[in-house]
Amino acid sequence: MSAKVSNATFKNKEKPQEVRKANIIAARAVADAVRTSLGPKGMDKMIKTGKGETIISNDGHTILRHMAVLHPAAKMLVDLSGAQDVEAGDGTTSVVVITGALLGAAENLLNKGIHPTLISESFQKAAERSCQILLDMSHKISLSDREVLIKAANTSLSSKIVAQHSSLLGPIAVDSVLKVVKPEANNVDLNDIRLVKKVGGTIDDTEMIDGVVLTQNVIKSAGGPTRIEKARIGLIQFQLSPPKPDMENNIVVNDYRQMDKILKEERAYLLNICKKIKKAKCNVLLIQKSILRDAVNDLALHFLSALKILVVKDIERDEVEFISKSLGCKPIADVDSFTEARLGVADLVEETESSGSKIIKITGVKNVTHPTVSVICRGANNMILDETERSLHDALCVIRCLVKEKALIAGGGAPEIEVSRTLLKEANKLSGVEQLCFREFALALEVIPTTLAENAGLNPIEIVTDLRNKHELGEKEAGISVRRSGATNTYNEHVLQPVLVNTSAITLASETVKSILRIDDIAFSR
Amino acid sequence: MSVNIFGDQVTEERAENARLSSFVGAIAVGDLVKTTLGPKGMDKLLQSTSTGESMVTNDGATILKSIPFDNPAAKVLVNIAKVQDDEVGDGTTSVTVLSAELLREAEKLVDKKIHPQTIIEGYRIASKAALKQLDSLAVDNSDDSEKFRQDLTNIAKTTLSSKILSQDKEYFAKLAVDAILRLKGSTNLDHIQIIKKVGGKLSDSFLDEGFILDKRFGVSQPKKITNAKILIANTSMDTDKVKIFGAKIKVDATSKLAQLEKAEKAKMKAKVEKIKKFGINVFVNRQLIYDWPEQLFSDANINSIEHADFDGVERLALVTGGEVVSTFDNPEKVKLGHCDLIEEVIIGEDVMTKFSGVAAGQACTIVLRGATDQLLDEAERSLHDALSVLSQTTKETRTVLGGGCSEMNMSKAVEQAAQNESGKKSLAVEAFARALRQLPTILCDNAGFDSSELVSKLRSSIYNGLTGSGLDLNSGDIQDMRELGIVESYKLKKAVVSSASEAAEVLLRVDNIIRAKPRTADRGH
Repeated sequence: MSAKVSNATFKNKEKPQEVRKANIIAARAVADAVRTSLGPKGMDKMIKTGKGETIISNDGHTILRHMAVLHPAAKMLVDLSGAQDVEAGDGTTSVVVITGALLGAAENLLNKGIHPTLISESFQKAAERSCQILLDMSHKISLSDREVLIKAANTSLSSKIVAQHSSLLGPIAVDSVLKVVKPEANNVDLNDIRLVKKVGGTIDDTEMIDGVVLTQNVIKSAGGPTRIEKARIGLIQFQLSPPKPDMENNIVVNDYRQMDKILKEERAYLLNICKKIKKAKCNVLLIQKSILRDAVNDLALHFLSALKILVVKDIERDEVEFISKSLGCKPIADVDSFTEARLGVADLVEETESSGSKIIKITGVKNVTHPTVSVICRGANNMILDETERSLHDALCVIRCLVKEKALIAGGGAPEIEVSRTLLKEANKLSGVEQLCFREFALALEVIPTTLAENAGLNPIEIVTDLRNKHELGEKEAGISVRRSGATNTYNEHVLQPVLVNTSAITLASETVKSILRIDDIAFSR
Repeated sequence: MSVNIFGDQVTEERAENARLSSFVGAIAVGDLVKTTLGPKGMDKLLQSTSTGESMVTNDGATILKSIPFDNPAAKVLVNIAKVQDDEVGDGTTSVTVLSAELLREAEKLVDKKIHPQTIIEGYRIASKAALKQLDSLAVDNSDDSEKFRQDLTNIAKTTLSSKILSQDKEYFAKLAVDAILRLKGSTNLDHIQIIKKVGGKLSDSFLDEGFILDKRFGVSQPKKITNAKILIANTSMDTDKVKIFGAKIKVDATSKLAQLEKAEKAKMKAKVEKIKKFGINVFVNRQLIYDWPEQLFSDANINSIEHADFDGVERLALVTGGEVVSTFDNPEKVKLGHCDLIEEVIIGEDVMTKFSGVAAGQACTIVLRGATDQLLDEAERSLHDALSVLSQTTKETRTVLGGGCSEMNMSKAVEQAAQNESGKKSLAVEAFARALRQLPTILCDNAGFDSSELVSKLRSSIYNGLTGSGLDLNSGDIQDMRELGIVESYKLKKAVVSSASEAAEVLLRVDNIIRAKPRTADRGH
């Protein structure tokens, strides 16, 4: 049991090894659970949550988040896929699968009697080298090349339920990111892209709106308009209902005449407000939701419809920022400051109905300093819809990665094989424990092509050996093409992914392996 | 015949039983944290029984704080670790392990029928000799700023090498030294803000001058402010309600209600007007600001941030040189905060507000990135340890060598002192020297090296006059520590030796443990 020359001590402790093994087993169990969902032919998982909801997903992070994982080491893997989700948005399954494989490699090394800190340090060195190899083999792109971006988005979409519709969703994802990205920027705020879900229709009906989509309905109870051209939009944060001060109040009525007076005054009060709104030439009114009192009452609606003003209520406070940003209007918190300058201008505000649900589209927005985009996702039921949204989000993240790091790499396991091959070669130049660790690390990375092949129903041994052979002969971009059921040049097959997804997956995985290996005891605290 | 002196359920342990119980408790604690010592030390996974949360840590004080002990002697050691944490910030494991080792040696001496008081006497002589030796080994480089910086970097690296940040220790050591040197001798670590964000890798962490607040500007306000004058307030921006329970107004018409509402708004506006008089362009409030005042602020070209938490407001006041106000009648008496630039930055997926070029030039923010929450928490603890050791070192600028070098030198001095002692005391002094030698032994064991061989090599090398020798735990042989740059703070080492021997002394004096009746849950029945 010795890895180093001067390591001839008598091993008298079993517990640390036991603890480490238990942690590795728990973490690998999690990795095995999501393994089958990797790749274009990966399967989905159905999860029944504690609340009784059913979720069907192919997204690694979504699956793990909803699995009620108890073991602390297993929980770290769940966090890990979360971190990958934040950083790259895609590859959340790959990162967990790689971690599982690395832990398996670490277990082999531990059995040889190598000290865990040595293993984790060598793994991190190997990870660093892998990132270099990946960057070297990647292809620089420019954001103006829309075609390439679409291909990258399609690769991400191809493993999801929406794979069939990737020709529709890919361009949507690319166009919406390109629309909100600032030139020369190194990051995109995905909050500027709003995904709206509406049940009904099919995924084919998903569309991108250059403007704003509101899920609230136009209020028609008082017969107001539902379509306004040359709209001037006001976003108000005050209420169109009888006054109500913060303090508790009572109106004391002594006789019948007084009641008449109260009603009359109420009318006058509301009419006054509505007139002021009309005076500012506003014809579309968006009203923020109010908790303390009615945001708008029937009487006010009646006046507004008479004044031909389209009314939408129940705008959430969180939405205000987004709406004011995308419409170029300023929120108005008091009727006295309701001026023309605060309104937003759009060509058309229209409530449309399709497949049984209504949405409001605001298009042709003018004078916007900060462009935003809305995408309406459609689907037959909530489960498909949720999965469509997640897939689209992943695709958006892929494009965001390309904004951050403008380089693409061939997909289909090609990068992993290449890294593995290079590391194996370089391992021989190292001496001692590091050599062993590099070898194991390199072999562990082959889990990705192996799993891809397994999930696609191909013979993993044949494919992986074939790939290794091709890479050795200089075909650095040979990967698994599921379409051709074999090894081909995946870059030419347009299976592309951002290099950031791979580099981030490998670094995050090796960091997590390190923290799992460093644990030698589990103690219970308060 | 037994006489009941104590109340019900009170237990008493005497003489050898009491001593046994305190030895056993202390040694158990020492053994628990022993494996976390040194650059190849392992971590502990602490699982909370009440909340189910888990924590991975290498920090002795954190481990001991979280584990419940029932043994009074164990609690003494936990306290020692806490004191070490408060005073120096690092070395919590060392101090616990050393006192446990001292007690282990003492146990053997007691078995040889040596009176505890004699042992204590011997330990005192020994610790004096050890500290004297440590003092003579210490090097002070504070006159040469270049060298001192190198010292600080080395100390940070030594501290970090035993933690989760060891892989990127060069990077983080530089980060920590930069942050500490900005403080210009102050030990107030409040000026250094640490923000943790999941995602990215550890080496994506960065130091940023200025201050980052996890909040955003109000709706439709400019995202960038240069030359900001900041008023920091803790005030409610709604209608200053009459705070009498059940206050009510009675009116007889809606118009009067409308007037009331108007009056309320006027009050809000009046407050905003007062605030405007300060001539500011940024207003930060701890409480909510609400839509209407926010709009008034935007109209007056004042950016507002609402609902900044307590911590945020206080730090902001500290770093921008302003003060937190809640009344606005005397603009001339209030100190405003200043900074050159305020802008929004994206970290991970979150947008935050960054204040740069702040009045207190020493303030800075460290943003930590990492894969999991556990990783980030542990990284924060490690960095905090490094920062506190460094800030202490800027005061007590002397340094000593690490890697078991100082311990072995002290052990040598103590053994020489033992030779000059006559009588039983000398046995205790020798025991102290053995306990000191345990620290390098544990370092070797944790790294998986043959400790018996390496430590005896180290010993002979130091006895032969190579006072700079120490353990190189990467290659597993004896090297010159000064060349490798394994340096530790003198204050840390001194605190470890003196508090460990004090703790051992306290526990040795015990010959009787009386446990009071445990507090029962159904009190008051």
